[in-house]
Amino acid sequence: MYQTLLTTRYLTSRVIPLIAVGAVALCVALVIVVVSVMTGFLDMVQSAGRTLMGDVIISYGISGLPHYGALQEQLEADPNILGATPIVDGWGLLRMPYPDSKAKQSETVQVWGIETESFSKVTDFSSSLQWKTPTDNQRDWLLLDAIKKNADEVRIGMDDAQWNAFVETVNTASSTLNFANANLWEDIKTSVTEEQWEQILALDERLSQPELVHKQGLALERNGKPGIVTGLHVSDGNERQRDGTYKVIRNDYWWLPRFDGTLTMLPVDSQGGIIEPESIIMPFVNEFQSGVFMIDESRIFVPIATAQSLLHLDAAEIIDVDDPTVVLGVDPARATSILIRGVEGINAIELRKIVHGIYDEFRASMPDNTLVLPPSRGDPGLSINTWEEQQRSFTGPVEKERELMRTLFSIVYLVVAALILSIFWSIVFEKTRDIGIMRSLGASRAGIVWIFLQYSLVIGILGSALGLLLGWAITKNINGIHEAMGNPPLALAISAFVFAGATCVYTFVRARSGMMLPIVLGSIGLITFAGIGGLVLFIRYIGGLVIWDASVYYFAVIPNNVDWPSAIVTVCGAVLFCVLGALIPSAKAADTDPVKALRHE
Amino acid sequence: MSDTPILQGIDLKKTYQLGRLEVPVLHGASIQIQARAWTTILGTSGSGKSTLLHLLGGLDRPDKDSGDVLFKGASVWSRTNRQINRYRNHDIGFVFQFYHLLPELNIFENTLLPTMIAGSKLPKAQNKAKATKLLDQFGLGHRLSHRPRELSGGERQRAAIARALVNDPDVLLADEPTGNLDEETGNEILDVLSELYDGGLTVVMVTHNNEIACRGDVVVNLRDGHILEN
Ligand SMILES: Nc1ncnc2c1ncn2[C@@H]1O[C@H](COP(=O)(O)OP(=O)(O)OP(=O)(O)O)[C@@H](O)[C@H]1O
Ligand SMILES: [Mg+2]
Repeated sequence: MYQTLLTTRYLTSRVIPLIAVGAVALCVALVIVVVSVMTGFLDMVQSAGRTLMGDVIISYGISGLPHYGALQEQLEADPNILGATPIVDGWGLLRMPYPDSKAKQSETVQVWGIETESFSKVTDFSSSLQWKTPTDNQRDWLLLDAIKKNADEVRIGMDDAQWNAFVETVNTASSTLNFANANLWEDIKTSVTEEQWEQILALDERLSQPELVHKQGLALERNGKPGIVTGLHVSDGNERQRDGTYKVIRNDYWWLPRFDGTLTMLPVDSQGGIIEPESIIMPFVNEFQSGVFMIDESRIFVPIATAQSLLHLDAAEIIDVDDPTVVLGVDPARATSILIRGVEGINAIELRKIVHGIYDEFRASMPDNTLVLPPSRGDPGLSINTWEEQQRSFTGPVEKERELMRTLFSIVYLVVAALILSIFWSIVFEKTRDIGIMRSLGASRAGIVWIFLQYSLVIGILGSALGLLLGWAITKNINGIHEAMGNPPLALAISAFVFAGATCVYTFVRARSGMMLPIVLGSIGLITFAGIGGLVLFIRYIGGLVIWDASVYYFAVIPNNVDWPSAIVTVCGAVLFCVLGALIPSAKAADTDPVKALRHE
Repeated sequence: MSDTPILQGIDLKKTYQLGRLEVPVLHGASIQIQARAWTTILGTSGSGKSTLLHLLGGLDRPDKDSGDVLFKGASVWSRTNRQINRYRNHDIGFVFQFYHLLPELNIFENTLLPTMIAGSKLPKAQNKAKATKLLDQFGLGHRLSHRPRELSGGERQRAAIARALVNDPDVLLADEPTGNLDEETGNEILDVLSELYDGGLTVVMVTHNNEIACRGDVVVNLRDGHILEN
């Protein structure tokens, strides 16, 4: 067909269509990158949330759900349910050692009292724990702690000279350990007898059994006492690295599992009034990282019994108001919510229906003489929601934002259409005579229209394919690119300046011929290259450019998966709008009067 | 010259609209083109020669109250657009003063263009062979892949003639084919047309040059929008 022949010739014989292809590619790539990142972000929020909270949540205000153990059992008996776990949650104040100062750090935290075993079934608690075993430095600090705390015990069996030498070793080691890796472990081991070494190791179980660090976190206890697991960003002792990982500051000195913290919570009475605050000192046993910054920053886990007693939600005797000596019965312990995880493949809405049924059964199975009845399903304080419903306030805006972005970016299509329209308008004008020639040779109006539609189709397809490729490449490497922006390589600046110098020489040499184009091109090149070089140096000077800030975007890394459905829609849309843009110029071309066109010239 | 003419213009009128001003060009021109004849239309510049040729060739539509163009006895201007396209493509070959080759296509592709536009049912190879043969015949066999701008005026006009002939038209309409060429080159072009005429082609040529007009066997004069036959 002559249209195809002309399309290929028009495409290869001029620069404008290539610019159009490039522009379409850039537009498509832009949309793909932005929408992919936002979709990835939303997916991350949802999957992270689900692994942290299960699929369906039953909650009953701050007064809590009594007889939750029975409900949990009934839930777990259902074949559609993988696990159910009670939670006592409330806000509290956590005081912990403060980095580089004698003062304490106090943080408002969201306290979750959990039943570790069932909680691990419902969520990914185990794998979210940060410390599986201590690092060498952490182990050395544990050793120092144990020795300092139990100095008297360690001294047994050492004479004064031996002891002084030992103290000397310990002190030098501990002062260097702050800054560098010391050989503390070996130094101490060699300075004491084997028997003494065994005694020292026995001071802290974690010294001889490093895997206990993880186990204690999982069980929320150390030496039979309840412990705290905190979000990795709760303490300032962990410093966030640029790549999203965390590093304990001062060479692991501020490693939280070395210390104790004070947790204070405000219990509320049955009328909703606030009673005296309750406090407890507990060791930190581990830290967790969920990947959701908001959670890592404010959540801590304690055993459910601890939370219950701090909030006065534990079992208590009910006493007659008139005669305090008469015990009427027992007010059972309460849980503020129950997290439920369905078996693989079950839909959350379906699961919620099943949970409704089980709840009704649970309520009906309460004996008539029960003193404290759980709320009926009609109680406004009781809610049974899927994870998504529960988090609507959080994910809802993000979803809206994505829709807004998509809508805003559909303006890109209009840009594409306008671009093609203006380019084609000028091409059609320029080709008026040729169109007249073809019409005089018998080409139909439709045939002429098809030349330009096909032309725009090819530009659209080439452009979007290129854009897809570019968008894919950028999205896949977005973390690398972002990191490079944070620390742009000096080589980039140097090569930019070399190019700037080269264009300078080129301009100077060519300018002597008196031609205008080389001067203009050379100046543009010079400014561009020098600008890039300068920008790189500037970014390096200000210490890097960080756009994706975890404290704003909740996640440590930028999502880097292409949202294929959106990408395909974008590509099709770009092609469509290319063709739409060419429609008006094509119609103009088709209406060209052959005789008038031929009289051109 | 006894048969019915292959191409007839009957009482052709054409008025151009220049804003509110009406510019009447043809006032009812009638012309008979006999098959296998060489008809020359002679007229001063601006007399409407090109206009007449465009009407005959199906490129421009005559006025409403005008007569018609008959090709082989059948009306041209009462045809559908589709049929007129086919008439332009298949029955008539046009040669213009300014060659009018497409600059993006090479000489061979330019020549082949009408067959591609026709969506010709003939095998491609046959069309290509036809185009090659014509270009060979006009001494352009070695320049097939050259672009028009790389050719001289005479060569371009010969390529244009090859293009006009590739679909085997019945009539060749040439609008001042030598108008843009020096005398010697112009004569070469006229020799080519003579050859074709000798081969049995119907040729209609427009010129304002009396010397060139003597090449034809019928010369008609166009004056004041009327045909004055000699
Ligand atoms: N589109 C148009 N609008 C207005 N006037 C026109 C138009 N086309 C042609 N004319 C006028 O019609 C007249 C005849 O034009 P035409 O081109 O047919 O003359 P011609 O005999 O071919 O002249 P030439 O020898 O210079 O080619 C001229 O006066 C011209 O100005
Ligand atoms: Mg003319």
